[in-house]
Amino acid sequence: MATLSAMKEASVAPPPGRDQPVPRLTMSGVGKVFGAFTALANIDIAFHAGEVHCLLGENGAGKSTLCNIIYGLHSPSSGAMVCDGVSYAPANPKAALASGVAMVHQHFSLIPELSVLDNLLMGQRFGRLDRRGEAARIVTLAETYGLSLDPHALVADLSVGQRQRVEIVKCLMHNPKILILDEPTAVLLPDEITALLEICRRVADSGSAVVMVTHKLAEIEAIADRVTVLHRGIVAARSDRPAADMDGLVRAMIQRPDATGDDPAGLAQLSTRRHRPSGKAADEVAQLDGISLRDELGIARLQDVTLSIARGEIVGIAGVEGNGQTELGNMLAGLLHASDGRWFVEGQDLSKASPRQITEAGVGIVPEDRHRVGAVDRLSLADNIFLNRMPQYSRFGIIDRRRQVAAASTLAQQFDVRAAGMGVRFGSLSGGNQQKAVLARELTTPNLRFLLAAQPTRGLDVGAVKAVYSLIRDAADTGVGVLLISSELDELLAVADRIVVLYRGQIVGECTTDASNREQIGIWMSGKHT
Amino acid sequence: MNISMSSPSATLARIGPPLLAVLAALTVGLIVIVGMGAALDKALLAFWRGAFGNGYAISASLNRAVSLALVGIGFVIANRAALTNVGGEGQIAMGGIAATALCLFPPIAGLPLGLAFVVPLLGAALAGGAWGGIAGVLRTRSGTNEVIATLLLSFIATWLLYWCVQSEALLRQPMTSSATLPESLPIPEATHVPLLTGSYSSPVTLGLPITIALAAVAALVLARSLFGFRLSAVGLNPVGAARAGINVGGHIVSALFIAGAFGGLAGGLMLQGEQFSLKAGFSSGYGFDGLVVGLLARNSITGVLAGALLFGFMRSGGIAMEMGAGVPSALVSILQGLIVVLIAGVAYFQDRRSVR
Repeated sequence: MATLSAMKEASVAPPPGRDQPVPRLTMSGVGKVFGAFTALANIDIAFHAGEVHCLLGENGAGKSTLCNIIYGLHSPSSGAMVCDGVSYAPANPKAALASGVAMVHQHFSLIPELSVLDNLLMGQRFGRLDRRGEAARIVTLAETYGLSLDPHALVADLSVGQRQRVEIVKCLMHNPKILILDEPTAVLLPDEITALLEICRRVADSGSAVVMVTHKLAEIEAIADRVTVLHRGIVAARSDRPAADMDGLVRAMIQRPDATGDDPAGLAQLSTRRHRPSGKAADEVAQLDGISLRDELGIARLQDVTLSIARGEIVGIAGVEGNGQTELGNMLAGLLHASDGRWFVEGQDLSKASPRQITEAGVGIVPEDRHRVGAVDRLSLADNIFLNRMPQYSRFGIIDRRRQVAAASTLAQQFDVRAAGMGVRFGSLSGGNQQKAVLARELTTPNLRFLLAAQPTRGLDVGAVKAVYSLIRDAADTGVGVLLISSELDELLAVADRIVVLYRGQIVGECTTDASNREQIGIWMSGKHT
Repeated sequence: MNISMSSPSATLARIGPPLLAVLAALTVGLIVIVGMGAALDKALLAFWRGAFGNGYAISASLNRAVSLALVGIGFVIANRAALTNVGGEGQIAMGGIAATALCLFPPIAGLPLGLAFVVPLLGAALAGGAWGGIAGVLRTRSGTNEVIATLLLSFIATWLLYWCVQSEALLRQPMTSSATLPESLPIPEATHVPLLTGSYSSPVTLGLPITIALAAVAALVLARSLFGFRLSAVGLNPVGAARAGINVGGHIVSALFIAGAFGGLAGGLMLQGEQFSLKAGFSSGYGFDGLVVGLLARNSITGVLAGALLFGFMRSGGIAMEMGAGVPSALVSILQGLIVVLIAGVAYFQDRRSVR
């Protein structure tokens, strides 16, 4: 965080036009309605040349919808936009690009098998390709903005941060007046974040308006010239001195009086109410012994992972996404089997066990991918709460719906799953309620001894984050050993007892959750210890 | 509280589009008849006579509907697991072969208590089921798309049937002269499926109540049983189903086995209730029409029954119209195709709206 703030100070000159800001794009009274759901209502906002304008808000606040409207993916239900003094109503992204609006999406659209250059030239006009000339042009362009890029490298060989740079260059090639970045830092290492913010600043300095969606407060402090906070589709607050207004912005974002900038979910309050595990060997509930795993292409995803979790202990797995966490989670869920090594729960070898056997051994699984692994979106809430326990509610093969729905609504109440009824489609619930429903199922696994929670708060708003962690902590308090995989370091520091860092499928470090270890953890996460 | 209950407006949204599609198609049909220069009144009269004109016509239509309904029910069951069974034609053929072989096996005809016709029907269902099950095993073992597998297995079954009626070593009747037709011996009377009325002037067989009963069971299984629930889970999200401890491969094989068994039973009923001897061209498209009925029904067993009745009567009427008014019965196929395209189109727009 310190580095981020320092960078802003070091930002060379004040951006041109800050004294007399020129609106590049103004939206007035813009609204968007999906069926009965109002995603955005009456938004007035102006994006100025030379500024980095951050959009802040919880999940579902309408940030992405707003960006998609500017980029021509959605057409607004009401209101109007003006770009550089001309009425602006893009029918599709192509029209938006032609008007000088470019967007870097969260998910990249690059072809890994092609070189950077070929990826960039794709979608250009037909005709003769002057590869050498284009390569030189791209290198010059990239250097103008401080992006280092080898045009001949294969995209497959690039890190996530480098791939994102390719996406940014792709946008810059259109010489955009407005550059939109949708949560660009979600997948980046701390170092790469600093570099990205620097690039944003340079793009703004060149006279473009930069629109950045984020919910990381440190980045706003470091880079934002202006902040607009969205809450449930309306503008909840604005600031042109974000660094000074931080606490107010956070409150506007989550609209809860007790939230502060450092710990928006209020996770610190959880810490006081639990005992620490003894750490004695006899207390071990789960062990991973030399686990290695290769994927179908033979690439090593996990290497010699050895770990033990004690009764009542929460072990956090930290790491940048894509360093083996997904494979670890899928293996413990029984969807993948280790190529080498074994793992045990209460001494029972589960290395070759099926998902059902793993559940029967008292293991609860909150999978990383709720929609693909954790639930069946198109079945009802009641069906998902008992997805693996339907035989309990059936006789002679016929399901007793009444009994099942009654039991489901009891559980839903106990776990605070809010839904219009037990018959609603699981997929129609909010992310937080979906996750609470999955927890309701997994935490009531008969004879629960070990819980895997993989990225349990992904996509949840801060209220739900707190609820999820207090459920997990309550489980640990009753003696369940918990393995918590998360890419949110702050959450791990607040919730776990011990942190293990995964880098390229290997455990590269282990420490307590003392805040002073944060820097060391960051070093481990980036693989710089070697 | 019954969570599977739907409101009247939802019901209307479900049955409205198919009804409109049928009406639109029939209108087009009328226009085509007039356009071809045929006398409309004569054509319609012939159609009416062929479909509903007398006890025999109605019975024939109902028997057609039975075959279509059975294949359609199987299609809907497999579809619950997101599997598309297009192999009805082959499953009917396998059912026909098995039923013929069993009926012509002398001890069977001597069985008491109606077992003489029940055992060959069960054999037909098993044979069709096995044929569908092969596609299920291919799908789970090597990921072969079941659409391809069931379709290609259909061709194999059709030619197997052809071989059976061409070779005396198999099911062909003894060749007494060069004029002996390439077909099996007629099956013994005891193995015929009994007629409901007892009279050949209105030959509705026991197949009709059997089909209605099976439809009720299928509807119950799909809506209320653990097996039906698991089929849905496997169909909607195989990975999530596997994580929940459901045997995904086993359910895929079972679903295709059951779909095939319904096709096989249809084949058995066709042989033992109508044709009484196996000939080349035994099924003549019921497998594919049944598939269309299943598609039309959009996962509703009631819809299958309605669609089967519609197509059964349309087919009878169409044949009569060709004979009586010179309107090619291909018109019926055109209308069937039109109905499918219209319904699929409406479904596409409905789904797109509900996604948004």
